[in-house]
Amino acid sequence: MKKYDAIVIGGGHNGLASAAYLAKAGMDVLVLERRHLVGGAAVTEEIYPRFRYSVCSYVVSLLRPEVIRELELTNYDLEIIPLDSTCTPLPDGNYLARWGDHAKTRREIARHSAADVDAYEEYGKCMIQMAMAVKPLLGTVPPRLGSWNARELFRLAGVGKHFHGLGKKLLYDLTKLMTMSSADFLNEWFETEVLKATMSASGIIGTFMGPRSPGTAYVLLHHYMGELDGAFRSWGFARGGMGTISRVIADAARHFGAEIRTECPVERILVKNRRAHGVMLQSGEEIEAATVVSGVDPKRTFLKMVDGKELDSDFTDKVSKFKVRGSSGKVNLALDGLPNFTCLPGDGPHLSGAISISPSIDYIERAYDDAKYGNFSRRPYLDVIIPSTLDPSMAPPGKHVMSIFVQYAPYHLKDGTWPERREKFGDTVIDTLSEYAPNLKDLILHRQVVTPWDMEQEFGLTEGNIFQGELTLDQLFFFRPVPGWAQYRTPIKNLYLCGAGTHPGGGVMAASGRLAAMEIIKDRKSPLDFSD
Amino acid sequence: MTKFDAIIIGAGHNGLVTAAYLAKAGRKVLVIERRSVVGGIAVSEEIYPGFTYSTCAHLGGSLSRQVSQDLELDKHGLKILPLNPLVFAPLPDGKSLLIPRAPAAIAGAIGGFSKSDAAKFAAFSETTGKLVRSLKILIGTPMPNGTARPGSNFSELGGVAWKLHRLGSRDLQEFLRVVPMSAADFLNEWFETEVLKAALAGTGLLGAFVGPRQQGTSYVYLHHLLGETGTAFRTSGLVHGGIGNLTQAMARAAQALGAEIQTNSDVERIVTKNGKATGVVLRGGTEISAATVVSNADVKRTFLTLVEPTFLDPHFLLQVRNIRSRGVVAKINLALDALPRFKGAGGNDPAAYLGGVIHIGPTIDYLERASDDAKYGRFSKQPFLEITIPSIADPSLAPAGKHVMSVWMQYAPYSLREGTWDRQRDNLGNLVVDLLEEYAPGLKNSILHRQVLTPVDLEQTFGLTQGHIYHAELALDQVFFMRPAPGWARYRTPIENLYLCGSGTHPGGPITGLPGFLAARQILKDFQKRT
Repeated sequence: MKKYDAIVIGGGHNGLASAAYLAKAGMDVLVLERRHLVGGAAVTEEIYPRFRYSVCSYVVSLLRPEVIRELELTNYDLEIIPLDSTCTPLPDGNYLARWGDHAKTRREIARHSAADVDAYEEYGKCMIQMAMAVKPLLGTVPPRLGSWNARELFRLAGVGKHFHGLGKKLLYDLTKLMTMSSADFLNEWFETEVLKATMSASGIIGTFMGPRSPGTAYVLLHHYMGELDGAFRSWGFARGGMGTISRVIADAARHFGAEIRTECPVERILVKNRRAHGVMLQSGEEIEAATVVSGVDPKRTFLKMVDGKELDSDFTDKVSKFKVRGSSGKVNLALDGLPNFTCLPGDGPHLSGAISISPSIDYIERAYDDAKYGNFSRRPYLDVIIPSTLDPSMAPPGKHVMSIFVQYAPYHLKDGTWPERREKFGDTVIDTLSEYAPNLKDLILHRQVVTPWDMEQEFGLTEGNIFQGELTLDQLFFFRPVPGWAQYRTPIKNLYLCGAGTHPGGGVMAASGRLAAMEIIKDRKSPLDFSD
Repeated sequence: MTKFDAIIIGAGHNGLVTAAYLAKAGRKVLVIERRSVVGGIAVSEEIYPGFTYSTCAHLGGSLSRQVSQDLELDKHGLKILPLNPLVFAPLPDGKSLLIPRAPAAIAGAIGGFSKSDAAKFAAFSETTGKLVRSLKILIGTPMPNGTARPGSNFSELGGVAWKLHRLGSRDLQEFLRVVPMSAADFLNEWFETEVLKAALAGTGLLGAFVGPRQQGTSYVYLHHLLGETGTAFRTSGLVHGGIGNLTQAMARAAQALGAEIQTNSDVERIVTKNGKATGVVLRGGTEISAATVVSNADVKRTFLTLVEPTFLDPHFLLQVRNIRSRGVVAKINLALDALPRFKGAGGNDPAAYLGGVIHIGPTIDYLERASDDAKYGRFSKQPFLEITIPSIADPSLAPAGKHVMSVWMQYAPYSLREGTWDRQRDNLGNLVVDLLEEYAPGLKNSILHRQVLTPVDLEQTFGLTQGHIYHAELALDQVFFMRPAPGWARYRTPIENLYLCGSGTHPGGPITGLPGFLAARQILKDFQKRT
């Protein structure tokens, strides 16, 4: 029977990226995907005939340029169409829009506050500086804290030197950013409520925290870290939907020689004497490999796929403590026409951008309050895009698809189960959006409601957490996924992690997949003992 | 006109500690206090005849042992009465959790709720003990001021980093992991009993604007364990004669060492010449000069009201304005005709239940909801209460058979969205008394006198900006080298010869004396450099 150099469990974008890097390095690689298509949470599916939904993940910004370059993704028909605007409609019929056109944004903010125009400019500069400072960490393997190993001390010194070199002001600003709430952080800059609210919303995506929760300011930075074609802080939509990104990485992996098998759910990882040597599929088939790489989240990997007897209880305990509370849902709609927003009636450029339902910080905070006590938000925060306005191939002529990202939808409900409450949740989302676009309900041809429970069932994300683990300070960098194991290796020799549950985390960056592959390749060249 | 080496503005406990240390080093020191009584928020007052209230602060067990020994406070009359029991947490249904003082007995008390929690408690205490020892590395050390430019001050930064690194991989990781967590998440990793988690988490909420589910509350929890460790519960203490005796002892120590204290003197402004502080002007016009001015007033009050703003760099002023000091604590003092009978404090000896901290806040959700109200500018409908009845351990505080009850109430936000605190004061008092009545039926009828201090009252009485008891919130972005403001963690200020020594500086509240101690050390070091 054939023995592979590496098996990658899960054909999500990180798994595929890892596979591509490993194959590129000359390894014989097999990717095993449970579903009928690759992509994980980054997929395009025709749930309703002729309408193509980006079922889960829906925009791209953070995909690492080095991944695009090193895997030569530009050879495979990847086109990112920038989202030009973010528009926040208000209950009183007013709105706030921010555009790609800088002057237009200035005029628009001035409509709300003259002081905020300049503040916005300064803020942008400050955030870009900080993003530049943090960005190198996205391509850095976290050092092991407190270790006396020479390589680790060298790595730690490298990180220390990097931060030290940033200078005092930036260091202090970064400390504030890492620890403050987005509401407090933005309050230091702005006075316009809707501007603060819409910006703070980007700090809460995928978290189980509200805009007033300490620790949310850090995520604001993600919005200044993205780069598309060299343009900073732009968000875009992949032509053909998010599945295109996964397909392109899969194409690259195949090009380098990786083999990809779909509809092959892995039952468990084969381990002998604390060494992984292959996997067993649900079908019973066993496949041998020198290295097993799991793109699956850490909890599922260690608590479901590995025999508990092979792990010491301390490690299992740490994995159990890894917080993965899902908090987001998704509603995808097939529409007969375009929605008509009260604040900007008719067709217009705002429909080609993001539409954010985030009128005030209190509004989002209240939405969070509901989730804290086990209910989905009565009036949720929504991030809406209409991909078919940018890419007509997503829907039949004259018709549209709408992607609505919803927060908060806690995985653990106090009353009832998600299958029971799914449609009620969908209704709440539609009712909320209809308050701003009254004709929406009449346009709906089909609706798909994706709850955190569905994400767990469909995509295998434990508790439906879109980042495979919450992005909180205690679960970042050195601590992701668990203290002492932030370097993609695991206590099982030859078993690695490569998903968003590892540093630097979620957001369709493919950075985890890349860094994991680099560590694996390093270990193959010079096996080191990391048992200290 | 006498020329002093140092003038201390404000005779709060930190101001007195700084004064005592400076005097001890042979410096000529004058402490100027606005009120007629020294002590800042650590004062005892006989507001109602025969009853001594610890007006604001009521626990004194966090005081640094080193400060206490250096200043020989016991000789000057300080006597700490250990809390016994540590915590009594009654529940609405009449059950209660009673945490005894003896560490070995705690697991047994928890066992009534959960065997599993009881079994884990010793290990949990060991874990928090380790975390607190790690935290002490940072707390007792002056913070580095970061890097003025790459290369400078590297030894300071490196020194702290080295000490942390020496903790070893496991402890360092656990420390850095837990500090930014929420108290709820941290406690959920260990326990299942709600009231146990809530009683522990309550300690992480003191003075915090957020609830137990919010990140950084684990830090505040550990911060409050610093005083004296042993178990995961705060082993604080009351002060014989009321909390004011703690600051009286400090004042006596400072005076014995040669410091002068002048009460009923309000500092109007700090005099500066050529960017250097040279003295103060009192309300009424008297100017007193000194080589050094040390402000125990909070940072905002110091720089936004006592110093002419034109002398300050706008960026520094912005930093000061951005300090979050949203008061959330109200204080209710009651004179009681009899010892209240709490449900769950059964038996013939209620004092055995009520002699320590009485914690009202049965679940994590209850505490979180209490904080939710504050977010929207209301005081909690169902507040978190930390209560002591100091007259149990010290009968001298009230006439025979009668008692004083001291109630910290959270959350009472300084900025109300509707109405003013003047109008809401009585509503708040009634709400707290009604809640107490639910837990201790009959209490209402035994109230002889009630004093309600809202955050606005705390501001007006004690000069705390926005009524914040720790001068500035103990949030992760406002502690360590970020306290009081980034770049100014060394008690110095942009005005030469003007120092800060209050709770708004590292390591912050509660009553530890450490900010005052560390400030004095810095001032003395700078004195030496000058001469």
